[in-house]
Amino acid sequence: MNHSIETENLSLWYGDFQALIDVSVKIPDGQITSLIGPSGCGKTTLLRCFNRVNERYGNVTTEGKIEILGKNIYDPDVSLPELRKAVGMVFQRPNPLPISVYENILFGLRIHSPMRSITRTESDQIVEEALTSVFLWEDLKDKLKVRATSLQLEQQQKLCIARLLPLKPKIILMDEPCSALDAKGTLAVEELMEILAGTYTFLIVTHNMAQARRVSEECIFMFLGELIEHRETQALFEDPKHEKTADYVQMRYG
Amino acid sequence: MNLYKNFYVMNAMSTRAERKQKIVLPSTPFFTLGIAAGIAVIPISNALKKTDATNIQVVSPNALSMLLNDLYIVLSVSLLAILLGIVCAFYLEEWLPKTNWVRRFIESHVAVLTGIPSVLYGILAISIFLSYAGTLKVINGAPAAQDTGARPFQRHTTLFLGEGLIFILMVMPVTIKTTQEALRSVATPVREAAYALGASQWQVLTRHVVPIAFTRMLAAGCRAMARAFATAALLIGTYIWHYTAETDGMSSRFLLFLGAALFLSVCSSTLVEIHASIYNSDSA
Ligand SMILES: Nc1ncnc2c1ncn2[C@@H]1O[C@H](COP(=O)(O)OP(=O)(O)O)[C@@H](O)[C@H]1O
Ligand SMILES: [Mg+2]
Repeated sequence: MNHSIETENLSLWYGDFQALIDVSVKIPDGQITSLIGPSGCGKTTLLRCFNRVNERYGNVTTEGKIEILGKNIYDPDVSLPELRKAVGMVFQRPNPLPISVYENILFGLRIHSPMRSITRTESDQIVEEALTSVFLWEDLKDKLKVRATSLQLEQQQKLCIARLLPLKPKIILMDEPCSALDAKGTLAVEELMEILAGTYTFLIVTHNMAQARRVSEECIFMFLGELIEHRETQALFEDPKHEKTADYVQMRYG
Repeated sequence: MNLYKNFYVMNAMSTRAERKQKIVLPSTPFFTLGIAAGIAVIPISNALKKTDATNIQVVSPNALSMLLNDLYIVLSVSLLAILLGIVCAFYLEEWLPKTNWVRRFIESHVAVLTGIPSVLYGILAISIFLSYAGTLKVINGAPAAQDTGARPFQRHTTLFLGEGLIFILMVMPVTIKTTQEALRSVATPVREAAYALGASQWQVLTRHVVPIAFTRMLAAGCRAMARAFATAALLIGTYIWHYTAETDGMSSRFLLFLGAALFLSVCSSTLVEIHASIYNSDSA
């Protein structure tokens, strides 16, 4: 099996605080992998390493190796825009850009292609395709000019997924994508992920263990910056090898 | 722990060793006081030395042209200062890390300079002007032979520079501060979203930050202009008072002085109003 993401002894410091300790992990291609663990254990931090948005914090030091799609992302010849094009990210709080729905979907494409190289028919088609794949087309086809920030949260989050699609990413990172959504919205997003898995590799951080069990094939448990266990979801929940995993899984599943 | 404490910082792959040797400069306002004293002292002492006024005669002063002329100077200097201030604010806020000593140095001084009431700058400018005024001679209806081609109300270069500097010092810090606030008002998630889609810093700035912060930046410019006009009211009133000494009677001089000051004050408060309405409509 191929691996989309591979890290070796990845350590990360915020100032003097070590948030990731020797994390070595391999994320398989074309599947949904979930990342669980108590708050503050470094899930978001790990996720943010993979498209190098962590660097924006400024006081970050990274050691170790991260290979994405077979390429070390800290190589000097790596272009950040290209990396972020291949590795899309969905945030905890839906963060559509404060522009129209239509332009939200085209934003990624516009910044990656020369000015005015996308014709109107092309863009119409791209928007329709992207919205259709996240099942928003019927709801939003008459609201394309509406400011994206005025949509319902669920629609906003789906739009945040949709706007990644025109860039044809290989990997989609999701940081607790459903924590701002209600049960119905959560189910809708999960369904969407399951349909899109296969085409894309998903790595999803979640607080919700039921969700991890429902959607993911493999599951990673982290604790205080360390990767404790990484196995098939079913096995990890039913027969945790590690004491800490068992504690965490049983704490919620008593 | 503040998660976003260094949020606007780019290029973070610094080594721990690099971070250890941060330069820490005392961020005290002493520098500002030094600058202010320097500005006040240098041109004044210059003025006391120079008495040769042959080539700085003022030809046919007339109140309206003087007013327009000086208004023109105030406007252009202030606009320049506003543009400089905006550029400066972008550089500080978007490019320099919060811990950078240049940024901390400038920000601490901006904080002090914005705290100085504009009237004080006005008094400084007037004192410089008055120390020069003795070297300026007013000729009413100069003979053709003596006409050196000097425009009405042409002034000594040093005087002009000194006053220009005062206006820059008065307008720029306000612009820097309010522009920085405008930039900071652009929510972090918006920037994150754009960066995560692969936008460069330039694209994030031009396509999102500037459009979102634009109205606030406009408001910032208005406020800075208002400050300039408030001081100009005092200054131009004084000029008129001085230059009409040989041509006008006491009461008309007084009326001119009052009219000019009033006009500019109204300009100033109108700008403050515009600032407020832009600001409110933006946050609504
Ligand atoms: N920008 C930052 N600066 C300093 N410390 C941070 C920063 N971001 C996260 N941390 C710290 O790193 C640890 C891991 O955080 P995070 O990855 O957000 O955890 P999780 O997503 O698992 O809840 C926490 O202790 C947090 O306080
Ligand atoms: Mg988190």
